[in-house]
Amino acid sequence: MSVEALRSEDLRKIYTQRGAPPVTALAGVSLNVHRGERVALLGRNGAGKTTFLKIASTLLRPTSGTIEVFGHDVGRAPEKARPYIAVVPQEGKPFFHLTPREQVYTYLRARGLGREVARSRTEESLERMGLTEFADRLAITLSGGQRQRTMVATVIATEAPLLFLDEPSIGMDPFARRDVWESLRNLTRRGSTILLTTHYLDEAEALSDRLYIIERGEVLVTGTSEDLKRSVGGTLKVSLAGGARVVESFRSFGSCVADGEHLTVIVAPERLGELMELAVRSHLTATVGPVTLEEAFLRVVGRSINED
Amino acid sequence: MRTSAAEGAAVPFRGLAAFLWTEVLVQAHENLAMATSIVVQGVLLVFVWILAPSLIGVALVGAVLFSMFAMGQRVLNEAAYIRIDHKANDLYLAGPLSPEAYFLGMSLGILVVYLTPVVAVGVLAEVVIRFSLVEAATLLLLALAVWVFAASIGYVFSTFFRDNRAIWAYSSLFFNVFGVLPPVFYPFDRFPAGLQPVALLMPPSAAAAILQNAIGATSLSSGELSLAVFGLAAESTLLFLLAILWARRTVQEV
Repeated sequence: MSVEALRSEDLRKIYTQRGAPPVTALAGVSLNVHRGERVALLGRNGAGKTTFLKIASTLLRPTSGTIEVFGHDVGRAPEKARPYIAVVPQEGKPFFHLTPREQVYTYLRARGLGREVARSRTEESLERMGLTEFADRLAITLSGGQRQRTMVATVIATEAPLLFLDEPSIGMDPFARRDVWESLRNLTRRGSTILLTTHYLDEAEALSDRLYIIERGEVLVTGTSEDLKRSVGGTLKVSLAGGARVVESFRSFGSCVADGEHLTVIVAPERLGELMELAVRSHLTATVGPVTLEEAFLRVVGRSINED
Repeated sequence: MRTSAAEGAAVPFRGLAAFLWTEVLVQAHENLAMATSIVVQGVLLVFVWILAPSLIGVALVGAVLFSMFAMGQRVLNEAAYIRIDHKANDLYLAGPLSPEAYFLGMSLGILVVYLTPVVAVGVLAEVVIRFSLVEAATLLLLALAVWVFAASIGYVFSTFFRDNRAIWAYSSLFFNVFGVLPPVFYPFDRFPAGLQPVALLMPPSAAAAILQNAIGATSLSSGELSLAVFGLAAESTLLFLLAILWARRTVQEV
């Protein structure tokens, strides 16, 4: 029998508080994650990503709808889903008075792994996350990035069938982020499934097989990062300094987004020469680059991912 | 297949020993907290020794019971701290570790680490009072009941907070209302008569009264003794069961 690693159907979460109007965090989210997939939830702050992850990881009760982990109903029988999952919580921290080695090892033991397996997975995970050098220092003496790496090391060492990672590489330097990406790719090669939320579009692009863009508690679009980039309508992005004042002249080339003085135009390669000529005639400085997920996100949501 | 590794869901107390050990490691690094854990009791003992040296035996027994209560109370601070600041609930409970193992492992871990000074006070009490075997066993049993009550109420209470700073005030309130004010460090019969039934329903003073009665430091009527014994047993048992149920229930926020 082949069940999805994760499947949600019309999942809703409405927060109610006495004396305050209800807040809809999820407004009917339906999505699925196939076994062995890496899927990213992309969205601005407050879009509902963390709420979804908390419900999926059995820590928050949905208002309505269904969600299943490997066929187990998370809402009705969360205890049956828990052995299949592991979570890097948003803003989670390792115990300050444990070393990374102690943190990872004791966590694995608490999940029921035997001594030998826990020991070897601990060493492997610490090494993968570049923590061997700090493995015996108390977490309280580590930097924010090193603590976050400890959290990720703790969870990836479980090799749980389904991993939830809420902003896993936040606060990390670029090298550490790449270590995380590589470790997560390794895990899925070994059979795990990963659902992550991220603010970093490059991370989503580099890491995920598929993306869901969420805004105001709704899934707006899903697909691969290439699908989403193609939907923008061109493969090149031209940034024109001072171009905002002449935006009408460039509309015929493709979608135009003005941001302050700047104008960004999405254009097909065959029309690039024509556009550049117009830019020169208009005394504008142009920078050309490939379309990224940022443009796809802007097109779908209508706002930048970093805009509150 | 990878998913087959996840057999054996919902096993009660699963992961207890491992999480207990985790908490022992966490607490054992808190050297200063360990050293200062018995300061209040020490100060109260010094007061009694100066003001009424003949009551030092009663005060030492009270210090043992009060310390057990204080260790249970540490669960309130620890559970709230690691939930709010470290998101340990999310990390540990979204997995096969059972919620009751999380509560009990944390509580026992604190007990193991902070027990040494209490044992030292217990030995001092033995030197002063010279317990019979029955009295010593009674003290152990009472200390355990007081600890179970305090740890259970501490864990349940910890789940209501979203800010650590709010807890400090309540922690101090519990500490003084249950431990310092009622007759724990002094003889039960010195407590105002009208309030004595209340003291017999408060676990630390009930336990102290039972033991004071056993060693002849106070004299309880059979009704008072029954109230203290059954009250303490019922409160500790019910609170412990409530804490287990509460731990299971509060994994999933509403």
